[in-house]
Amino acid sequence: MSKRAVDLIFSATYMLTDLRMILRETAPMHELDERQRAEAARLIENLERQVGSLKQEMLK
Amino acid sequence: MKCGSGIEARQVNELFINIDPIQAGGRLTGDAIKAIIAYGDGYSVCDNCRKPNRLDCISKPPIAEFHKEVAAWLNMDAARMMPGARRGFQAVAHTYVNKGDPVLLTSLSHYTEFLAVEEAGGVACEIPVDGRYIVTPESTAIKIEGVRKKFGKNPVLALIDQVDYQYGNRHDVAAIAKVVHQYDVPILCNGAYTVGILPVDGKALGVDFVVGSGHKSMASPAPSGVLATTAERAAEVFRTTAIEGDVTGRKFGIKEPELMGCTLMGATLVGMMASFSHVKERVKHFDRELENHRVVIEALLSIEGTKVLSEYPRKHTLTRVDTTGSFDRAAETHKKKGFFFSSALNERGIFGIIPGATRVWKFNTYGMTEKQARYLADAFVAVAQENGLPVKP
Repeated sequence: MSKRAVDLIFSATYMLTDLRMILRETAPMHELDERQRAEAARLIENLERQVGSLKQEMLK
Repeated sequence: MKCGSGIEARQVNELFINIDPIQAGGRLTGDAIKAIIAYGDGYSVCDNCRKPNRLDCISKPPIAEFHKEVAAWLNMDAARMMPGARRGFQAVAHTYVNKGDPVLLTSLSHYTEFLAVEEAGGVACEIPVDGRYIVTPESTAIKIEGVRKKFGKNPVLALIDQVDYQYGNRHDVAAIAKVVHQYDVPILCNGAYTVGILPVDGKALGVDFVVGSGHKSMASPAPSGVLATTAERAAEVFRTTAIEGDVTGRKFGIKEPELMGCTLMGATLVGMMASFSHVKERVKHFDRELENHRVVIEALLSIEGTKVLSEYPRKHTLTRVDTTGSFDRAAETHKKKGFFFSSALNERGIFGIIPGATRVWKFNTYGMTEKQARYLADAFVAVAQENGLPVKP
């Protein structure tokens, strides 16, 4: 059982949800202010890391 | 994009500013969406259900604690989560109303309040509104006297909307409760448009029941809601089962008949719980919501011929407007007829106006950012100008 893979899936899904909320807050133009842009960048970076770890965990 | 066979993924709130009058307060928080992802499976909250085997007693996830917190937040003694406000009306009506009993409603009551009374066999007695579409304590007293004359007894229950769905007007429930209680009539405050939107204090209102809607006003999935009450009334409406099988002799513990045992399970309940801390916080900032609403209303009123039918200045973000003298005039000559209005708004990323409506319509600005409110205000004005309607500077 790969608890780590499950955690990574949830964690990545939650980061996507946070990104989704930024899209909601900025609809319909999706013009992000400085704070939102920084938050989106942080989330996407973390997400990429999580997906990388997931790849290692599930395809090992 | 599909999320199942034939089911289009809904992206309304990601792509549009949503001003649908019934949808604004029910949009989920990020935490609610996350909770739904984790608890989507059927009986997901029942993993750790132990004796006495009732939903509101489960401590992991902290459902029992949530019930206590919701009751305290509404300043009532007990609360149960319900599958929608309507099920709260139903539980209360079924407890207090017998066949032929008169029940007080208002001329602005939601249809589900009528159905709850009908199902219990009651007779609907509407308190009329005044010229401002407000239910007053005076008209309540007059109606009760009329009921007493007609039926030879007091109404057995009063259901009063704190903010009605038609005009978004605020009615003085505290003053109405004082009148109703002079006749020993229990009163239910329908907070479908207030609980989760602005502060609600059941004891200050002096009511026996507070009903709220999760999916309308508490950033929760549907169907969800809350029924909160006093200790005295809890013993009546949340009474426990007494039935026993005549063959098996089975009994059913502390299950509550009005709730059909356990009410709100799985993702719906956990979604409600996950939004709760955000909801508690947001009600403290209703003034900001009114300020955003004011920006939009002023823009609409700058379009000549537009009228606000709701009480004014506004005390709620749900408003009924009459644009017979503005957008409906443009519809007369537009090739899309009345559909031009919702179509023009859709093109600008605004959703929620009934397609074809250009005379009397409602909208709700709850939950939008200041920037979104300004965008919406500008969009109304731009659609008017594009269609040759005069706009005051």
